[in-house]
Amino acid sequence: MGAGSVTASTVKERLSWRLKPPHDQQTQGIVVSGFSGLPAGKALFLHCDGPDADAGQGPWLRTLMRVAPIAASDGKPEKRAAAIAFTWTGLQKAGLSPEALATFAAPFREGMYQEDRLRRLGDKIKNEWQEPVIDGGPLWSGNVPVSDGDTPDPESARVTTRTTVHALLLLYGEAVADVQAWSDEIEQALAPHSVKIVHHLALDLQFDQDGIGREHFGFADGVSQPIPFGDPNVASEDTVVLSDGKPAPRDPWHGVPLGEILLGHTNAHAEKAPGPIVRDDERARAAKLPLQGAPEGFLNLGLNGSYMVVRELRQYVARFWQSLDDNAARIRAHDPSATHVTADWLAERIVGRNIDGHLLCPRGLLAADEYRQPQNGFGFAKLDPHGQGCPLGSHVRRANPRDGLAQNLASAPALLDAVNNHRILRRGRKYGPTPTDSRIDDGAERGLLFICLNADIARQFEFIQQTWLLNKNFATLYDETDPLMGPKGRFTIPEQPLRRIVEVQTFIQLAGGEYFFLPSLPALNYLSGLQD
Amino acid sequence: MRQTILSVVLDVDPQSVRHLSDLIEDFKRQQEEAGTESYVRLKDGLPSLHFLSMSVFQSADYDPVFVIEANFDGASDTFWRHFEATMADHLRPMLRCCKRPVDNDEPVYDAVTKPGAREPVVTYLARRTLRPSVFHQGNRGLERERILRERDLFLAIKGELAQPSPTAPNPYRAIPAEQIHTRLRNAMSRSFPWLAEPASPRIPWTERTADFCRLLAFLFATFLCLSIPGMAVAPVTPALRFAVLTAVLAGLVAIGLWRMHRARAGEGVPTRSGGLTPASLSVKNRLTSFAHPVTLVAGLLFVVALYVVAATVIGSVLTMLITGLSYADSFWPTARVVLLGLASIAFTAPAVVLWLRWLERRDSSHDEPPVDVQLLREMARREDWIAQNHMGSVVLIKPGVLRTILVRTGHLGLGLILRAIATDGYLGSMRTVHFAHWAFINNGSRLMFFSNFDHSWESYLDDFIEKAHGGLTLAWGSGVGFPPTRFLVLDGASHGRKFKAWARHSMAVSRFWFSAYRDLTVDQIERNARIADGLRKATLKAQEATAWARDL
Repeated sequence: MGAGSVTASTVKERLSWRLKPPHDQQTQGIVVSGFSGLPAGKALFLHCDGPDADAGQGPWLRTLMRVAPIAASDGKPEKRAAAIAFTWTGLQKAGLSPEALATFAAPFREGMYQEDRLRRLGDKIKNEWQEPVIDGGPLWSGNVPVSDGDTPDPESARVTTRTTVHALLLLYGEAVADVQAWSDEIEQALAPHSVKIVHHLALDLQFDQDGIGREHFGFADGVSQPIPFGDPNVASEDTVVLSDGKPAPRDPWHGVPLGEILLGHTNAHAEKAPGPIVRDDERARAAKLPLQGAPEGFLNLGLNGSYMVVRELRQYVARFWQSLDDNAARIRAHDPSATHVTADWLAERIVGRNIDGHLLCPRGLLAADEYRQPQNGFGFAKLDPHGQGCPLGSHVRRANPRDGLAQNLASAPALLDAVNNHRILRRGRKYGPTPTDSRIDDGAERGLLFICLNADIARQFEFIQQTWLLNKNFATLYDETDPLMGPKGRFTIPEQPLRRIVEVQTFIQLAGGEYFFLPSLPALNYLSGLQD
Repeated sequence: MRQTILSVVLDVDPQSVRHLSDLIEDFKRQQEEAGTESYVRLKDGLPSLHFLSMSVFQSADYDPVFVIEANFDGASDTFWRHFEATMADHLRPMLRCCKRPVDNDEPVYDAVTKPGAREPVVTYLARRTLRPSVFHQGNRGLERERILRERDLFLAIKGELAQPSPTAPNPYRAIPAEQIHTRLRNAMSRSFPWLAEPASPRIPWTERTADFCRLLAFLFATFLCLSIPGMAVAPVTPALRFAVLTAVLAGLVAIGLWRMHRARAGEGVPTRSGGLTPASLSVKNRLTSFAHPVTLVAGLLFVVALYVVAATVIGSVLTMLITGLSYADSFWPTARVVLLGLASIAFTAPAVVLWLRWLERRDSSHDEPPVDVQLLREMARREDWIAQNHMGSVVLIKPGVLRTILVRTGHLGLGLILRAIATDGYLGSMRTVHFAHWAFINNGSRLMFFSNFDHSWESYLDDFIEKAHGGLTLAWGSGVGFPPTRFLVLDGASHGRKFKAWARHSMAVSRFWFSAYRDLTVDQIERNARIADGLRKATLKAQEATAWARDL
């Protein structure tokens, strides 16, 4: 699924990564932390009603910064934390010049609902919304206009959603009441600026008695994350350190260069991850935008910022479990010897891990690691090449194939290297009430606010969605997609001597989504001063 | 069966280019609308065709170029006959948009394009056909008909294994793999009688032998060419002096190379895998693979030994003929020259590399090639509809004597190596290419590339960047503006983002593109073939049956 790194602290603390000064004070806290110490949360989707920048609508962002100061990633413990990100139209509303807007990456400039992108993401094909999207299409987006020079297909109209989101403000606190009070305070402060909260979701991160954060279907979430590293041998590149202060080594399974997550740092293609730039002027200098990495005459608006993909995914818990009950009954009727096949067994195969997050292997579960957490340092090539434990098409294997697509052990390291060029840092949380009985549809709206950070949306988020999750031919499977995220269809569970087929339903639907820009704190400073 | 990959490249009258594109689009629309199944007319009319494309390349550097790319089974004459019957009426107006050729083909062009012409268009097309410089196939030796019937078998098996009744037990459950095989074979043999016959070999041994002989001949010629400077000096130089001279020169070159071996600042892209470097060899590979270091070294020693023997024997005969000496008298002096010549490669080969490196350090790269937004959109609109995608590209080739020699030799060698070694469809660790080829056009001043590949364009390019950047840099690094390379195979395509931008910029919209099996990836075709091969056998041993049943 897709929540952040959110397991509660347990016996022995694993060393976490953080940024070295001055980057830690310039980067939003959400990059480095999922704020697991702040289990209550709220997502406020903001819409700026006022006229365009040149008409002078006042510095609403400055007001916002006062009531909701954005947390830096310097690791100082706080009782409240906030993060903010903008859609393309949001930046336009904030008064960013067209010249600067044009320097953002194409997917961000075009938005998530560009026609060809909708097809690649599996949301809308041949002018029809696909099953994993709610009826009538998503409710909110940035409503990014068609860019210059683009000629829309006459046969399919440009998608516009009822609600236009300009910014996403994420609030984190210790208690639900406190976050609610804070949210009310923000709403009041923004009202005079004609900035409205047009949509909101109460996010939560309840750990159960075992300290496991679970998504609504009941599975432990956020087990696997990329781990950034810098280059300790190069002075300007030693930006990532561990919580003990030592340089972060490259993790053999999950190591990615910092530039895969943060703009302006060295990425997997050995270049500085490209980001937006602005003209070098007094205002930009006053906001302390760095010169570093910007061409002559410009300042770096992107450094220590990131692109944030947000998708509100509704989950149908009762449908999920009822459908697996039916499947288990059918499979056992077809094969009375298959007494092991239950809804739980099928659900674990769909996810690829057991309910507590431990990987399924051909002979049982993968043992926990030294921190009593699910072991995450493994590859499939050696452990389970044919998917007899963790099915080839299971959600975790599609979302991160590791070295599992290698044709032999000799090519496994190359395949792992290749896969790690397509990782995302997940920061989502679930919303809606926890179901009391997972078999009964209580009619409540619930799901996951999927949030991920990446520096190259096309190579990271979109690649995962298109080439792995929704690829009908992934891992030489035929005509099936991700059993959790994809539309109704078949799902193969390899078993000896003969695979089993599960008829999966649509368990998750997109209710809204957009690409956001998560600015660095100097960039936010710059943006909030544009309408003075 | 052997397959043919060819392309026809025609210059277009710039004023007719819009009209030509419209004609191709019209043709595409007609094919989509004809019959119940899309492209059924073309599929039936051209029974040996795997992939076909028509594109128009436009660039600021040359007049528009119209390219027909075809990938089919068997030899060209049958294909052209079917092509004429199916496509002639559509092609003729398109040819009229092209420039009249400026060589001996003018009369044929006139005969084909004059008003009311009846002359077969393929007579002209056949004369303008280009053969690839390098080509690659993912499912070598599988003809279209076999791919399609094995897909039908796969789908029928899927149906057979499913139990429609939700309550009745499934007869394929609770039995071992051997019995699944027997039962399935019985059930399928009625609808698929061809399962009783053995499959024809995918690559006949004659073709395989010829591939290896051609590769050996290439290596022989390479050794000989690199030996020439040494051979010229060898007859008049004492061996010791020759050795010292070679060592001194090789040492000087080595110093030069050492000083230039690093990438220029900011241009190095260290990669851990996917390159054509010694690091890509692994003892984990099978001993029969040339990616196993022992096999590679043994193979090279064998080739060198073969060269020495063959060059000496042939050389002695030539010496005998020229000088009138007896064979016995000419043998040892010739052997000496051959061996000293071979030793001098220690100098000549690094010297060529040094020259190359000198050029590489002075090549400018095209970091941000302009891409027309509208063209980009046209490309995107045609991508990601079926399991495969298509791309075509034309780039200019870097000028200069050494570059010309290297790009020609590199392509010849790469092509022969792929033919001899990449028979299982893998390029490095990637297997997503159905048919791809490179060809030199316009007197070798431009390099054309076409590929019919699985999954998205982004993932295809990423595959190259991550898993096969060495080979790709070798083949494409001679293009003007290619990201900075080192030693012909390093860095280059590993500049991932720049490489993608460069590749996109060189592409044309695939106005018309046909695939004979829209839902099949290279891997799926191989999976279907494995299932069919298993069912062709009357019985399988327990272990074989277990492995076979994994594909079901």
